[in-house]
Amino acid sequence: MTKGLIIGGEFGNILVRQKNEQALELGELMIADTSNGQMLLQVFDLLYGSQLTQQHLELISGLKLEEDEKLELMDAKLRTYVLARLKNLAFVSKQVARSAKTLPTFFTKVREIEAKDVSFLTTPLNPLFLGKLRSGSKVLEVPVSIDGRLALSHHVLIAGTTGRGKSVLMTNLLWDAVDKDFAAMLVLDPHDEYFEKLQKHPAAREQIVYYTPKSPPPGARTLKININQLTPRHFDGVVDWSDAQKQALHAYHQKYKDSWIEAVLREQEIRDFHEGTLAVIKRTLMLLLRLDVDDEKNISCSGIFDIGAGQTTIPDIVNALEQCKTVIIDTSSFHGNVEILIGSMIANMVLERHKTYSLQEMKTKPVISIVLEEAPRVLGKDVLERGPNVFSTIAREGRKFNVGLIAITQLPSLIPREVLANINTKIILGIELKPERQAIIESAAQDLSSDERMIASLDKGEAIVTSNFLSFAMPIKILHEEHKVVVKARQSFGGLKL
Amino acid sequence: MKFAHLSDCHIGGWREPKLRDANTKSFILAIDTCLKEKVDFILISGDLFNTAVPGIESLRMAVEQLKKVKDSGIPVYYIAGSHDFSPSGKTMLDVLEHAGLAVNVARGEETFDNKIKLHFTVDKKTGAKITGMIGKKGGLETNYYYQLAKEHLEKEPGFKIFLFHSALAELKPKDLEEMDAMAVSLMPAGFDYYAGGHVHVVDRQNIGAYKNIVYPGPIFPNNFSEVEKLKHGSFVIVEDGNIQHVALPVHPTVCISVDGDGKTATEVEALVKQQLLKNNLDNAIVAIRVSGCLKQGRPADVRWNDLFHDAYAKKAYFVMKNTNAFTSKELQVIMVKEANVEEVEESLLKQHAGQFKLSPNDVELAKKLMHSLSAEKAEGERVADFDSRLHSELDKLLEG
Repeated sequence: MTKGLIIGGEFGNILVRQKNEQALELGELMIADTSNGQMLLQVFDLLYGSQLTQQHLELISGLKLEEDEKLELMDAKLRTYVLARLKNLAFVSKQVARSAKTLPTFFTKVREIEAKDVSFLTTPLNPLFLGKLRSGSKVLEVPVSIDGRLALSHHVLIAGTTGRGKSVLMTNLLWDAVDKDFAAMLVLDPHDEYFEKLQKHPAAREQIVYYTPKSPPPGARTLKININQLTPRHFDGVVDWSDAQKQALHAYHQKYKDSWIEAVLREQEIRDFHEGTLAVIKRTLMLLLRLDVDDEKNISCSGIFDIGAGQTTIPDIVNALEQCKTVIIDTSSFHGNVEILIGSMIANMVLERHKTYSLQEMKTKPVISIVLEEAPRVLGKDVLERGPNVFSTIAREGRKFNVGLIAITQLPSLIPREVLANINTKIILGIELKPERQAIIESAAQDLSSDERMIASLDKGEAIVTSNFLSFAMPIKILHEEHKVVVKARQSFGGLKL
Repeated sequence: MKFAHLSDCHIGGWREPKLRDANTKSFILAIDTCLKEKVDFILISGDLFNTAVPGIESLRMAVEQLKKVKDSGIPVYYIAGSHDFSPSGKTMLDVLEHAGLAVNVARGEETFDNKIKLHFTVDKKTGAKITGMIGKKGGLETNYYYQLAKEHLEKEPGFKIFLFHSALAELKPKDLEEMDAMAVSLMPAGFDYYAGGHVHVVDRQNIGAYKNIVYPGPIFPNNFSEVEKLKHGSFVIVEDGNIQHVALPVHPTVCISVDGDGKTATEVEALVKQQLLKNNLDNAIVAIRVSGCLKQGRPADVRWNDLFHDAYAKKAYFVMKNTNAFTSKELQVIMVKEANVEEVEESLLKQHAGQFKLSPNDVELAKKLMHSLSAEKAEGERVADFDSRLHSELDKLLEG
């Protein structure tokens, strides 16, 4: 259906006169058929056009308001209309989409997009489903998937104001990845919201491992981490140690190996450190790890860190990830620092293990993606000014080792430019604040310089995906699906006296 | 209330008769201790036998001991473990139960919605309510736990004991990282005692609402590493909430560990000998572990017969060695990490290139030769034609 005619403009800013009663929408996808292919265009701005001068328009409105409400303009459709600014998204020829490098001729008709126009959007090798293609507010029956192996290892940013669908999108991504063999997800879940939905997945029992410190539902694991698993390095970006304190920690670790925290708490001998330094270390560790030590030097544990249990928790999590499982850790009851400490322990082990793999081995392993809610807590400018942490290391060099981040935030501007630039795929949901939009636009994989208004107008569940692994910045609709528990086949219970 | 908790007896488990005997002695010692301590009842958390159908000797001994216990008026409550479980339920354990020597507490009913509703077995003397879940190989019992109706078990008042034969993820020891394990949360909460088995460790932990999760350790170490780590078997006696691990030292254990890295076979032999001389081996189980890479000679050059002879001369009960990680440079194989045949070939060719020189790129030439030589006779092709084709291809390659 023809919706307008090209009447001027320039590359990236094509002016179209809208056909009357064929309302164009911001973000709407249009097709301009040319002699050798199709130009895929997108509306990024709408404005009024008229054959009448401003003075005449004001006069007519005055007459309508003050004199005769029924006054009609002769040939109104020809004298007043809507103009739209369109940008070139791609040029499609023989089922291949390329960057557009030409302009359609004057008076080329632009028409509404149909599913067949985007048949070039084939399913990638390792598909990770994002949503359905959206044209303005209209949803097309065209699934949009990205190569998950590539996208996840090159990091993903999900940015949007609260209530715009970040959690729904993340749930969808996790749901889709649960039974995929190319990716494993580690979710540090500060709102404890994902497991409730994901446990309905048909493969949940085999593929999802859920850790919680609170009464775990059947099958979930009580989060316990043995203090022997901690090393001084895990505290990078978690505690702001002074140089002397750092040195004392390393001295303890060197001398007492795995039992170094017990040694600190029991005030076991260590030379060349000031008493005050050691006292601060002890107090900080006790507070952070919720440990206590009595006069008899017995250590008691009241949090997730334990002296008996949890000896294999971190390796268990990393092993589960290497087996393509989704690991969700309920961090809702932790102080921010504890959550980061746990994340840091797991991320360090994942990264260390992956660094030992040859390129060939790496190809056989799934990409491990770490989901970071409120990402500026670990990737924020102020945090990284105090020194790098394992997450900034992953952002910088994780893709070489098949380890990626999914950073979720409503404030992308708090993340340094160089980190944002390393995040290749950005899923942008509605953002009201201009500086936040700017931060995303400036670091996007495709040119979004004209999309500010579109981003500001994104409704709940609407998003734009920009990525090197997509042929153009793709508008999508995030699906909100209600999942029901799948009833499993009856099981027999051999060996029991029933 | 006083009860004993045994697990992983693995009767009939060792192949070496002397160790099998030691295992038996350990089991008898445990039973005798229970009788001496006058426990009210005995729990066995799986793997009483090493197989579902044990040998006559093992069975005879077990029956004899259980009869002794029964005659003393002490009931035995058990579950099947991963070794003595049978899907059909037809095991020697079943025979023991029918003979009135022990009670299988992993019993109940299947509900209309395909759930397992376990029943409690109530100990007459103490009123303790006992139930449990079998263990299966590879942690397959986990599926049963997912189908377990827990509400009635958790609501039941009184002193409750749950027998299980599974590794628990939260309590797995570091050296058993690879072991299949299930979450503690699959068990019913709020019991007074969780009598564990399967994991051969001595441990007692509380995890949230799960208090007193106890692994008593095996009755006797089950392999070389366990001999080194545990030294002897053990079980648990619980008296009015006081949990006490009881050691079963039927033989002293002497563990000798020698690092052979960078040494000669003679030096290693001397080091082992020195350790044997130093220790009191009287009636002891001696475990000798040698690791590392010899700088000269082969591991087989160590005169083990002489060393064993020395140990037995000092009245050792049994001598065993572990040389799995003992190697020499001569024996070190070429490690190839590549994933497919082509890459393995390429890697091997690269390692051996340079032994002769035929062309500017011998690796490439060798690959082409291998490719040509692996060609098969085409359908309809005469043998003579195939022969000639092959010759011509090889000539071309070698000339080029």
